[in-house]
Amino acid sequence: MRLLAGLMLASIAFAQMRSITLAGKSPVVTFRVVFTTGAAADPDKPGLAHLTAAMLAGGGTRDLSYKQIVDAMFPMASSVTAQTDQEMTTFTGATHVDNLDAYYKLFRAMLLEPGWREDDFKRLKDEASNALRVGLRGNNDEELGKEALYSALYRGTPYGHYSTGAVSALEKMSLDDLKQFYKQHYTQSNLIVGLAGAYPADFLERIKKDFGVLPMQDSTPTLEVKPRAMDRTHALIVEKNTRSVAYSMGFPIDVKRGDPDYPALLLMQSYFGPHRMSGGRLFQRIREIRGINYGDYAYIEYFPRGMFLMDPSPNLARRSQIFQIWIRPVEPPAAAFTLRLAAYELDKLVKDGIPVDDFDRTKEFLGKYVNLLTKTKSAELGYAIDSLVYGIPDYNSYVKNAVAKLTREQVNTAIRKHLRTDRLQIVAVAANAEDLKMQITGASPSAIQYNSAKPADILAEDKIVGAWDLGLRPEDVEIVPAAKVFE
Amino acid sequence: MKFCVLLYAAVLFAADPPKKTFPFPYTQEELPNGLRLVTISTDSPNLVSIYIVVQTGSRNEVEPGKTGFAHLFEHLMFRGTEQYSPQKYQEVLQRAGAASNASTGDDFTQYYTTFSKEDLPQILAMEADRFQHLKYSPEMFKTETGAVLGEYNKNSSNPEEKLDEVLHDTAFDRHPYKHTTMGFLKDVQDMPNQYDYSLRFFDRYYRPEYTTIVVAGDVDSKRVRALADQSWGSWKRGSYRPDIPVEPLQKGPRENRVDWPLPTLPLIAIAYKGPAFTDTQKDWAALDVLATLAFSRTSDLYQKLVVNEQKVDTLDGEIARRVDPNLFEVEARVKRADDMQYVRDQILNTVKRFQNEVVPADKLAAVKNRERYQFTMQLDNSQTVAQTVARFVAQRRTPDTIDRLFEIYAQLTPEDIRAAAGKYLVESGRTIVTLTGAGAGGGK
Repeated sequence: MRLLAGLMLASIAFAQMRSITLAGKSPVVTFRVVFTTGAAADPDKPGLAHLTAAMLAGGGTRDLSYKQIVDAMFPMASSVTAQTDQEMTTFTGATHVDNLDAYYKLFRAMLLEPGWREDDFKRLKDEASNALRVGLRGNNDEELGKEALYSALYRGTPYGHYSTGAVSALEKMSLDDLKQFYKQHYTQSNLIVGLAGAYPADFLERIKKDFGVLPMQDSTPTLEVKPRAMDRTHALIVEKNTRSVAYSMGFPIDVKRGDPDYPALLLMQSYFGPHRMSGGRLFQRIREIRGINYGDYAYIEYFPRGMFLMDPSPNLARRSQIFQIWIRPVEPPAAAFTLRLAAYELDKLVKDGIPVDDFDRTKEFLGKYVNLLTKTKSAELGYAIDSLVYGIPDYNSYVKNAVAKLTREQVNTAIRKHLRTDRLQIVAVAANAEDLKMQITGASPSAIQYNSAKPADILAEDKIVGAWDLGLRPEDVEIVPAAKVFE
Repeated sequence: MKFCVLLYAAVLFAADPPKKTFPFPYTQEELPNGLRLVTISTDSPNLVSIYIVVQTGSRNEVEPGKTGFAHLFEHLMFRGTEQYSPQKYQEVLQRAGAASNASTGDDFTQYYTTFSKEDLPQILAMEADRFQHLKYSPEMFKTETGAVLGEYNKNSSNPEEKLDEVLHDTAFDRHPYKHTTMGFLKDVQDMPNQYDYSLRFFDRYYRPEYTTIVVAGDVDSKRVRALADQSWGSWKRGSYRPDIPVEPLQKGPRENRVDWPLPTLPLIAIAYKGPAFTDTQKDWAALDVLATLAFSRTSDLYQKLVVNEQKVDTLDGEIARRVDPNLFEVEARVKRADDMQYVRDQILNTVKRFQNEVVPADKLAAVKNRERYQFTMQLDNSQTVAQTVARFVAQRRTPDTIDRLFEIYAQLTPEDIRAAAGKYLVESGRTIVTLTGAGAGGGK
């Protein structure tokens, strides 16, 4: 039981409005306003939290139509963007200090005096539904796989639905549902105001005074997220007519920022599969040596939109996280082999841990790389808000100090404690699902064909990999047409 | 409405923008071998970002059957040298805690690394080594072509990529802008057989006269120059000059369609042959501003189609910034296939309106303000500073072009916008491509 962060999250109901400020010389004033509520608070109406936030950021206010807001922000090159996750809803914006007063008036009105217009609602509902039907199911096999993995692992918990919602639930939603959600969850106790740049000295007080009109408390009971125990490995094949096979796989871990094993697992991630970097073990073995696909990575925290982003977005703090492997699309003839290769590499990691040389190098890497995560003011602000929620010091010193003290033995112990190769949830997005099912459950080894000669040690390893037992029986594999996912 | 007018005024008068749009001091030098070095001192401490821009992109792929090679090279450049094997290269980057990657466009390939300033000498030297001494075996080459095919595969589930591919293929006859940066699938699949050609490609284009190094961050230009002389000075100048075909004048409107095998929302792209990027004439800047006035979120058409009628869910317009003449393009995603003709007519009517009417001066002023604020606000860390400069370096090899371009924006008049619409957005240079998905509602 990890008490620290749990306490922080639980105590929110009694806290007052909080703030993080990074006053500086930059003429760009950055806003990050976070409400510690989100999709986990709308379990019966998937998409309600998302649509409520979208109405604030993409709809009119009591006095101004959406068009008037867009026109007013246009010459300032400013906007307001919303991000909804399970436990956080974030509104970000930035403006040149020249335009601060005019921008803030709009920003304030959007968050505090929403217009709740029917036509905005209809437009944004369509937009959310198209994001699911077209943006996710139609155009992005990889993100579809990742989100289907989360939904499978958290079935029956408050995280059991994707934060953008489900098409049929969105269709049934009414404006009153949104107003009710806003009233209940957009409260001072849930609010964290983040502000950076060359704003005037009394500006924060002005914001606090304005946002003081929000209700004080969110009366929702403290969230409990307990993913169900897994008895064995399961696979979900999302079937659609697509060229290649995209994989995501993983399981929940009882580790988040602030927990004793977080730094050790972060180091593991930096060794095994750092996001969009070519130095990771998975990337090296799957792409670099074998040329199978475009990239292969591992995560210990939620990282949506990874195909569009090089750095993780802040303000996705969660009380429950998963360990995840992301295998980018593979040509169908190599699909079964690649899945076995990922499982084989995970097994190797758990059994052998991180080799000495790699450990030293990864330690050095992480101690410096963490500085790059907060290179923008907006990111710095976002990480500071997350640190407040998780109850840790500023992220950079937290990671640097902890990583400096880590020994290889500690990291390998943490790996053995939290990672495993049995009881995986695998998600594949693929055509010919029955065929893939046969290949990953059958006893016959998966083969791999290369377009060039490979060294003997790789060919020998391939024999072991090809015969690797994924622990899947036919009854452990579920096939779902893509059109039914998040429907 | 009154509120908005007041706000516009406030923005216009509050801003007293500096003469120079690019706010950081920089030096620009040329080494005797033709390599260009741009060093920018930003005020952010400790970090340094390097962008190495090679003015070679899919535009340089002039031989049939060889599309996608500039992009393939972006991959091959990580395959090591005698001094730094791929593993050693990775180890150095890891020890530096560096973020590193590369990307390819129509006109350029760029390699970037961001890290702590104490690692500058080693990283600059290591980069110099791979640009001069890249060495990969036929086996390594074939393996990397698999990763490139993997990249094609991950893009291929997106219908917008397909629309773009067909649009360029339809609009261009001879110029390499006919193909996308990824290249044609058949060429990507044939890459494993092209080892010898790849050596020729490297020999032609990975040369100092095609390359500019942009260094931004906590740096001193004299020191950077000394380091560059040390490790990049011996790089030999090349002699190859590609004969890039000139696109013949388009003589009539063209149309094409894509039948997408899966359900998706219909897409329509309406494109016109536009001018090459220029920082001395008004044409390109005028069309850039026009794209914003006519098709951005604040435009009348967006208000009509997206906000009021809600027939369209995304609408965008832009003029590509390219070395040679490329496309001015408007793209819309339509909610119902039945409305495709209507949306097409609305876009064409808007184009006509901009050819016939001059835009109100206050709207033009708002766009100019926006362009300037947008530009300066993004420069909030050394990596985006280097990245932004690299984008201009890809065209002109100098950051000077930024201030020149913004001077042109400042001079634009409503009549310039109308004139550019009249000159370029003409029927004879137009290409329309539509994409409809399987089972898309109504219509066909």
